Amino acid sequence: MKSLQSLLWAACLLISTWAAAQVTVTGKVNDEKGEAIIGANVMIKNSTTGTITDIDGSFEIKVPDAFVTLIVSYIGYTTQEIPLRNQTRLEVVLREQATLINEVVVVGYGTTRKSDLTGSVTSVKSEEIQKIAAANPMQALQGKVAGVQVSTASGRPGEGPVVRIRGTGTLNGAAPIYVVDGLILNNIDFLNTADIESMEVLKDASAAAIYGTRGANGVILITTRKGARSAKSRVSFSSYVGQQQVERRLDMANAAEYAQLVNELSGRAVYPNPDALGQGTDWQDVIYQNGLIHNYNLNISGGSDNMLFSISADVFRQEGIIRSSYFNRYTLRINNEYNFFRWMKFGHNAAFVMSDNNREPGGIVFNAIAADPTAPVRDTTGNYGNTSRNSNVSNPAAQLEYNSYNRGYGQQFTGNFYSDIFLVKNLTVRSSFGYNLVNNRNRSYEPQFFVNDKQQNPESRIFAGFYRGVDWQWENTANYRKEWKNHRIDLLAGYTVQAITGEGIGGGRARLIGNTPEFFYLNAGDEQTATNYHFGNTPERYLSTLFRVNYALFDKYLLTASWRRDGSSKFGAKRRFGSFPSVAVAWRVIDEPFMQNQKLLTNLKLRASWGQLGNDKIPASAAIPTVTNSLSAVFGPDEQLLFGATVITLANPFLQWELSTSTNLGVEVGAVDNRLTLEMDYYRRLTDKILVAVPIPDYVGSAGDPFVNAASVLNSGLEAVLNWRGRIGKLNYRAGLNGSTVQNEVKSLGAGNQFLRGAFINGEVATLTEVGGPIGAFYGYRVAGVYQSAEDIAQYPNQGLVRPGDLRFEDVNGDGIISPDDRTYLGSPIPNLIFGFNVGFDIAGFDFSADFNGVRGNNILNAKRMFRGFGIPNFEADFLDRWTGPGTNDRRPRTTNGGYPNYSVSDFFLEDGSFMRLRSFQVGYSFPKSLLAKAKLSNLRLYLSGNNVLLWTKYSGYSPEIGSENVLQVGIDGGIYPTARTFLVGLNAGF
Amino acid sequence: MKKYIIRFLATLAMGMGATACNQDFLDVKPQGQINAENYFQTTDHAIWATNAVYNQLRTWDVIAFPFLAMTDIVSDDATKGSFPADAQRLSTFDDFTYGPSFPEEIRLAWRGYYRGVFRANTAIEGIAKVQMDEQLKNRLIGECKFLRAHYYFYLVRWFGDIPLITKPLLESEYYNQPRAPKAEVYNLIIQDLKDAIEALPEKSQYPAADLGRATKGAARGVLAKVYLTIGDFVNAERYALEVINSGQYALLPNYARIFLPEGENSSESVFEIQATALEESYAGATAWNMIQGVRGTPNLGWGFNLPSDDLVAAYEPGDPRRDATILYVGEVLPDGSGVVQDNPEMLNERYNQKAWTPSHPGLQDNGPSNIRILRYADVLLMAAEALNENDKLQQALTYINQVRARARGNRPPSVLPALTFSSKEQLRQAIWRERRVELAMEQHRWFDLVRTGQAATKLAPLGFKANKNELFPIPQSEIDLTNGIIKQNPGY
Repeated sequence: MKSLQSLLWAACLLISTWAAAQVTVTGKVNDEKGEAIIGANVMIKNSTTGTITDIDGSFEIKVPDAFVTLIVSYIGYTTQEIPLRNQTRLEVVLREQATLINEVVVVGYGTTRKSDLTGSVTSVKSEEIQKIAAANPMQALQGKVAGVQVSTASGRPGEGPVVRIRGTGTLNGAAPIYVVDGLILNNIDFLNTADIESMEVLKDASAAAIYGTRGANGVILITTRKGARSAKSRVSFSSYVGQQQVERRLDMANAAEYAQLVNELSGRAVYPNPDALGQGTDWQDVIYQNGLIHNYNLNISGGSDNMLFSISADVFRQEGIIRSSYFNRYTLRINNEYNFFRWMKFGHNAAFVMSDNNREPGGIVFNAIAADPTAPVRDTTGNYGNTSRNSNVSNPAAQLEYNSYNRGYGQQFTGNFYSDIFLVKNLTVRSSFGYNLVNNRNRSYEPQFFVNDKQQNPESRIFAGFYRGVDWQWENTANYRKEWKNHRIDLLAGYTVQAITGEGIGGGRARLIGNTPEFFYLNAGDEQTATNYHFGNTPERYLSTLFRVNYALFDKYLLTASWRRDGSSKFGAKRRFGSFPSVAVAWRVIDEPFMQNQKLLTNLKLRASWGQLGNDKIPASAAIPTVTNSLSAVFGPDEQLLFGATVITLANPFLQWELSTSTNLGVEVGAVDNRLTLEMDYYRRLTDKILVAVPIPDYVGSAGDPFVNAASVLNSGLEAVLNWRGRIGKLNYRAGLNGSTVQNEVKSLGAGNQFLRGAFINGEVATLTEVGGPIGAFYGYRVAGVYQSAEDIAQYPNQGLVRPGDLRFEDVNGDGIISPDDRTYLGSPIPNLIFGFNVGFDIAGFDFSADFNGVRGNNILNAKRMFRGFGIPNFEADFLDRWTGPGTNDRRPRTTNGGYPNYSVSDFFLEDGSFMRLRSFQVGYSFPKSLLAKAKLSNLRLYLSGNNVLLWTKYSGYSPEIGSENVLQVGIDGGIYPTARTFLVGLNAGF
Repeated sequence: MKKYIIRFLATLAMGMGATACNQDFLDVKPQGQINAENYFQTTDHAIWATNAVYNQLRTWDVIAFPFLAMTDIVSDDATKGSFPADAQRLSTFDDFTYGPSFPEEIRLAWRGYYRGVFRANTAIEGIAKVQMDEQLKNRLIGECKFLRAHYYFYLVRWFGDIPLITKPLLESEYYNQPRAPKAEVYNLIIQDLKDAIEALPEKSQYPAADLGRATKGAARGVLAKVYLTIGDFVNAERYALEVINSGQYALLPNYARIFLPEGENSSESVFEIQATALEESYAGATAWNMIQGVRGTPNLGWGFNLPSDDLVAAYEPGDPRRDATILYVGEVLPDGSGVVQDNPEMLNERYNQKAWTPSHPGLQDNGPSNIRILRYADVLLMAAEALNENDKLQQALTYINQVRARARGNRPPSVLPALTFSSKEQLRQAIWRERRVELAMEQHRWFDLVRTGQAATKLAPLGFKANKNELFPIPQSEIDLTNGIIKQNPGY
């Protein structure tokens, strides 16, 4: 009887459960404008069951009973929790998030709510990143993040920019590290923009200290797109096609003008009738082209209880604005996550990348402005014109034919495999293995050719090389999270290992047996001319332990403390380990009772942080004394090269990493329902123990100065970000402004170092890093005017061999003689203000945005105007505005062709590098959902866009962005590959 | 509980491998390179380290701009050359306006020769520790000592008192080396050369494959020059005659051929810096040819170090050595491959024919010429000079006349007639004059002028100041870095 009762009970329960599961809830999700939201997630709270809305915004979900709570969410909208309370029909209106203060932000080894952040972290989302058509995603950060300077080192397709976070903190490698889905990498050239979900820039020590010795230059975290749980797979396709052209051209002297200058310089009529030569050739026409840029990205993502997936394929193709250069890249990315058991999941973020590129002929940018404009591209007999008559400048058109086979091919696998175990309640353990394999090949070929006696190659030649880099990383972390009463705590502990190796092999041969690509192999060349190389990089290895605690009291007093202990193989056995602590606090003032009665502010938070970080971007061999090979001697009647090797450079086994200590104070303010937000930070970053080669007397005989940890550099500044979002009727608009200042000062260069020389131009020091000045300051003579007459020369301090019409220098030290001692600080290559601002609006499906950025306060040394080389290359047209006799010009000298004083390093060649650019604009139209429904599309947007559209600057060169990875010689324009202006049409579609 | 055990085991399995990495993990070795601490273990190491001392002879600092500027250009034999604005700083060597910090060539020469000393010191110290065939070991150390003497001999003649470094310095010794008196430097040079004479084989005793290494004769010849420089004519005579009497050397009949490729390592060669233009790389070359090559058409180089008017005027009428030394505009190249065209941008356009080289693999900077440091004719003239000073005029005449006779070749006896007996002073002047024209543009003139005390009179019109310009300034950086322990030469 009893058992029967039990059975009945059980049956009833089963039936009731089953019956309850029959409850079907239907509904519709709209935005505030009444437009249906497609693809919104509708989930049952505390379960894995859910669905997404269809193209009408409608959904249907089966719930266990009519009293559960549904969670409705959609990206960019405030998530709503709706208790059903026995309703079966819902009308949900999702509100667009005015600001994203509750968004989740990725931080090192985890995520956090933006409101919980104690450090200085800026997050950039995929929409922003995709505004710039470029191979390298970092290009998109230009002007977007306060405190981050992104400058193009070269417009060559596929090349990444130079990135500096909060100034230049070292005299060595100053580039940040990149952490892609947890894998620490030195560059992200392989990543395509469309695969990126978000990029987080960790700027202060509190945020970056968890990266220890690697974090001193800042950390950029990149999260790629992941799948999301949904009833139906999402398919999205995006594409753009555009054209690129050189942003600016230089105004060169034409043939008649050039001939006149040559006559003037030669003191005889080399060209009897200059005017008859007319315009001649502008060689810039020869090398620049309109380059095609296009990109296609297809992504399919989705997920169920057992797995999440996101698979994307991407094609990026770019022709350079200089003929013959191009970059193509093909990517397949698979980011999946599998729930093996309730307590264990496994996932991977893996990308396979293939690329190929071709480099333009070497020196062609300079040759296109230096080549003789009186020479034709080809003469009447069809031969290439001789541009070397008055100089050594090659004919750029001939270079394009003969010197443009410079191929590079890359294959890369970058992947991260991880497994999470939910060990006990609140405790998760993760083991993550990352692997980065790079295989690069290059091959260049130069045929036998003869243009003239200076531009020729007597025998065909080929060079080929392979490079393989392997980098693996294994991280084990444990994470404990607990909330109770008014406390929240999040503990992290971990142990990580990383190893980086690489080797290259290659060679060259001359006299190939054929001149078409099937012969471009070493074995098709003459064995007698063979050269080869094979090298291995000194391995880099790291062992680290790390800890972090996040603690929140009453959700308004926040504390983060972290500690990392790092061991690095780059340093000698006694100096290998170091510890990097940080601590940060934040106070959400807005949540205090006394703030509840005011209406003005809707957010107020104060932050403060302190921490120490390391920089180990020094040569891996600086601490290991090695024997230098290839110091061969020639002996014997056959003049054999006999191997020689010895120690030529002294090393320092006591080296350590550079230590940077930074402090950050921040305030976050929100008003008008957080439509207005302001975020301000003050930072101060002192880098000590900077590795610097300390000069030793030359009589010691070392071929290089040994490195010591001796220099220090201070960077400090203010960052501000101001944003406003508003609405007028159906028009949503927004405007934002960000700016940051950088004060860069060298505090010490170590004993015995008064200065460090940087670049040399025309045999003279052009940049000098001095204590008390900025890194890489321009250094040279100050121009006081132009000598008008012999009396002038007699009257002013003795300047050595000068003639009337020459530049007159300032006698800086006042000793009555102009000597190299009168060279002085001329200006800084580091801008003191970096800014960006943007405006945007959307109405009735149309959207518009414009992003501006710029820098102020830096100088550029226009060095390409200083290179006269041999003979008489062409001049920029403004050289015609010159001194021609007493009283004619007190600013520009007479025409000379190199040498002291007119081509010495002086402020005559220094220009204001400030600029402002319309970095990008977009005009888009999103088709109404009702229309799309018929085409089974969930969204479709078409847009027109432009990059680098407008430029305001006083700088006269191709581009005022002159990046250089060598911090001692930044801002020197030696004729870089110019930046491009781009116009595109694009589309984003979702199915 | 069981489910937790599985979880713990899984966790352990995951973390185990990584934690197995201990601190040895951080011990890495440079790849493909020997750690300096493990060097000087084998015979190969000893040979390699010696070859590396020779290697330094071909570097820019040792034989290019700094060398040519501080030997020929600074003398009355040559002017800077090229067109006026090109490397204009070198014109300070024409008018004696160079100083302690400008131009950098003076520092580069100091640096380059001291790097040679460093390599020699490293090798001498290191080879001594190697277990190897004693005879070879002695020879290698002898070669290194010869080369150390070579480097120091240039340094002491250019700068006077200099830091005397005889072993690789320790970190605590970097900044506190004072200038040693010149006499001490000469003592080391003399001792090194005597050791080398002891240890080295004669030219003919070397295996063919070692042609070009330092020899007993080379060490004697250089030692003769050292003694001549410090005015010890007895020893100068002794060592010069030892070279002559060794029977290892003879004048080449045709003067012009000495400087052609076939003249390399000829019977006249006592010591040459060996160089070659390889097909596959520039590893065997120097910049010496390129710097002095014809600028313009045919395009052979940069056109620096041009023979001066004064040198042109120094030759006796009909002396064929003038044409063998100077390459004029309009002249056919020695191999007949072209004619030197006028380059309107060049002043004083005539080139150093002794640095001319026929076409070779690679470009101009793959310069193949051996640089003739010591020729037998030089030894004969040193012998003549020392004998004359030692009042053996008749014997001196024989040697100078050998040199003149060779220069005359098959021309009539009226050309470069044999000198006859005259006063010691006249013969001294004749020998000095003979040295100038015989060795013109071979980077000897400056040292001869200073050594013989002629510099003040001969170079005064160019700006030479007596009691100052006999020595070059010590590079300012050395004074700054030693905090004044190193003092400047007088007058700078």
